[in-house]
Amino acid sequence: MRYEVSLDDRRVRVEITPDGRFTVDDRAIPADVRETVRHRQWSVALDGETHEVTLLTYDPLRVDVDGRDVHASVIDERSLRARGSAARPGGGRFELRAPMPGLLKAVHVKEGDVVEREAPLVTLEAMKMENELRAPGPGRVVRIAATAGTKVEGGSVLLVIVE
Amino acid sequence: MHVRLADAAYPIGPAAPRESYLNAARLIEVAKRSGCDAVHPGYGFLSENAAFAQAVVDAGLTFIGPPAAVQRALGEKTAARRLAREARVPVAEGTEPLRDVAAARDTAARIGYPVLLKPASGGGGKGMRLVAKADELEAAWRGATGEATAAFGQPALYLEKAVEQPRHIEVQIFGDARGKVLWLGERDCSVQRRHQKLIEETPAPSIDDELRERLGDAAVRIAKAAGYQSAGTVEFLVDAKRRFYFLEVNTRLQVEHPVTEMVTGLDLVALQLRVAAGEALPFAQPDVVRRGAAIECRITAEDPFAGFIPVSGAIALVREPNGPGVRVDSALFAGMTVPDEYDALLAKLIVHGRDRDEALTRMRRALREMRVAGIPTSLPFHRHALYEPDFAAGRYHTGYVAEHWPPADRPDLPDGAAAAAALVAVLATRSRSERSQVATVYSAWALAAREDALR
Repeated sequence: MRYEVSLDDRRVRVEITPDGRFTVDDRAIPADVRETVRHRQWSVALDGETHEVTLLTYDPLRVDVDGRDVHASVIDERSLRARGSAARPGGGRFELRAPMPGLLKAVHVKEGDVVEREAPLVTLEAMKMENELRAPGPGRVVRIAATAGTKVEGGSVLLVIVE
Repeated sequence: MHVRLADAAYPIGPAAPRESYLNAARLIEVAKRSGCDAVHPGYGFLSENAAFAQAVVDAGLTFIGPPAAVQRALGEKTAARRLAREARVPVAEGTEPLRDVAAARDTAARIGYPVLLKPASGGGGKGMRLVAKADELEAAWRGATGEATAAFGQPALYLEKAVEQPRHIEVQIFGDARGKVLWLGERDCSVQRRHQKLIEETPAPSIDDELRERLGDAAVRIAKAAGYQSAGTVEFLVDAKRRFYFLEVNTRLQVEHPVTEMVTGLDLVALQLRVAAGEALPFAQPDVVRRGAAIECRITAEDPFAGFIPVSGAIALVREPNGPGVRVDSALFAGMTVPDEYDALLAKLIVHGRDRDEALTRMRRALREMRVAGIPTSLPFHRHALYEPDFAAGRYHTGYVAEHWPPADRPDLPDGAAAAAALVAVLATRSRSERSQVATVYSAWALAAREDALR
């Protein structure tokens, strides 16, 4: 199976053959991968180096490699084909979700608004603090899914932005 | 974690702070039932509440901290400012507690924007708002009133003229019941977001010995004027021209006290216990010797990639660094759930070095070693800051986080690390999505050896 992995701004192609060999960017690499903490931490030996990789969070996927944190995403070849060759992982559409339960104090945008990166979108009150959630990149607000003044669950979609 | 480490534990009520950690009557009732003879209030909740300190004494127990009268004199911010002025310590222009938002508008127009809106009671930056211009005032008033009420049970606010590009420098003071007050060095706590500290260090890299002595002297004058006892902190703002202004006194032990302990070799909590038991401070000002430099990073349950929003959830894995000059004061363990009712602080990572360079090197190494998985933490921010040239050079003020985070660009991931991360990302998402029992070892070398053997 082939996968496309994004790590911050970098793209890496990974293939795992049915007999358990790895290729990275089409180069076969002798890698020794050991899961040292189940579902959480792996020790990877390759080309004479060892690397420690820790899964920080699964959704969104964030990993720590050798004490450096990286935002990652993985798409397998079936999904890649389904999206068409031009599709980029995660690109185009962004759902703003409540990172934790709280009170949605204010919504600063309306449907149809064009926003810049870092534009304030909503104010969420949680843990005694008011938190402003900002746009991760430029785009247009296509849907507002929550009402100011109401309580929201952690993980619930607040609004949707497309590039 | 504190419950697991404690010798004895008593329930104090439900998770909501109002019904437990802020419920003075219940805490005292539990204290008496447990047969203890003294109460240490820690550094949150009721630690700066004069009524609580008084109630502890009235119940026949010892309060470990400054007496209620001292807390009253210094805890209300506008009263503390009056006291500082009387002790000939410079104070930023400001007001008494304000009646309403209209009074705030008039005052702000008179002293000129930017201004800071602050709760008259409490501390730790909660409920504080920087107001850059008039049309932001009303929203700031509402937010600050709400936060001040939630955090301290007191909605009163006052205004202060904002010092531009200030460094937040505080002086550790310590007094005993016999009127001796000493200062134990300063800390620079300018690296903050939403007025909450993220990194603290001593000595403050931006000030020289002469200014340090003047700050220490001013802090002791204020403390003596208030009859201070036990541990406390006098906070100052120092502007780009090295002028300093008294800010407030925190009448408690502070979160960042370990950096002072590292360079002085003193155990501040032990000293608090001795002073509370009526003992004199067992040393004099010339005996306070500060060696080397210490830095503290506050590792919090906040997502630095989402504006430092607090997060809650289960901690899946923890590895804390160690080695020479490394100290970790931590509440972390694998399997714990970070609740959403309390402050986001998870662990304090503190290092000590011969000088600031050695402390920086040790902190970088310690941050690289530390792992916390399961929820996002502030670690990415700290790792970035420790390599960032302005922080490394000690050139920073309270606008540091806004100016340097999120980072414009990050160093490229080395090829080997990228390959390893990509492989694991694939294996992890695959095993998770298939929900299958995936073998725990994928070894091309092992497979090659097996194939050789079968040949």
